Amino acid sequence: MKKIFMWIGISLGGLLLAAFIALSVMAGGPKDALYMVRYALPHMHRGNLKVGDAAPDAKLIALNGLDTFHVRERGSGKPLVLVFGSFT
Amino acid sequence: MQIFNDYKARADFLTVYVREAHPTDEWQMKSNVKDEVCYAQPRNLSDRLAIANDFTKRFKYPVPFGVDDMNNAASKAYAAWPERLYVIDEAGKIAYRGGMGPFNYNPAEVRAWLAARYGEVKHPEEKPADGDPQKAPETQVAKPESKS
Repeated sequence: MKKIFMWIGISLGGLLLAAFIALSVMAGGPKDALYMVRYALPHMHRGNLKVGDAAPDAKLIALNGLDTFHVRERGSGKPLVLVFGSFT
Repeated sequence: MQIFNDYKARADFLTVYVREAHPTDEWQMKSNVKDEVCYAQPRNLSDRLAIANDFTKRFKYPVPFGVDDMNNAASKAYAAWPERLYVIDEAGKIAYRGGMGPFNYNPAEVRAWLAARYGEVKHPEEKPADGDPQKAPETQVAKPESKS
């Protein structure tokens, strides 16, 4: 019985190590892999939206910091291309 | 943003500025240090607005711009962090949903959607586009209605 648990432990450890190595390759290094897990993964979500779904609305702030508007207000009878991102 | 310049008469564009992807106090990228893009994760709206304004000024960014609130409501609603592309059709439905960035962020797919609707805009210096939009597993493209 102990041997089974030992082999399960070794297999899990091996899988974790392989996953970390793969993540390191993807992220650009072991430090980047750790930072990816700590800072990026908690905020990354696939989401449930599909083509054909109603586009969610959201309130946005203009660059002047004073005006606000909604995403839906930007539709003017034409398709609306949304580009999400940040400077860094 | 060549796509913006090519199709701004046919489609509306809106950039939604979200939570920083690689701030100095989290997962900073070496490339950002090299490009002098060094900002801490904003803790309040005015900090986020300051960075967004820096961005638009540095690149003379022409695309209409909106900043997500500090609850990241837009980013969460669209599962958009760190970067993502969408096309919303005239009926307010999602017509294109890009893959999650950075690896599946593909502006060429948006161009392909717009080109299928309004025709290709070619430039003399343009090289043939690489990649097949059909290969990206997460991307979904609605077939635009044919217009006579």
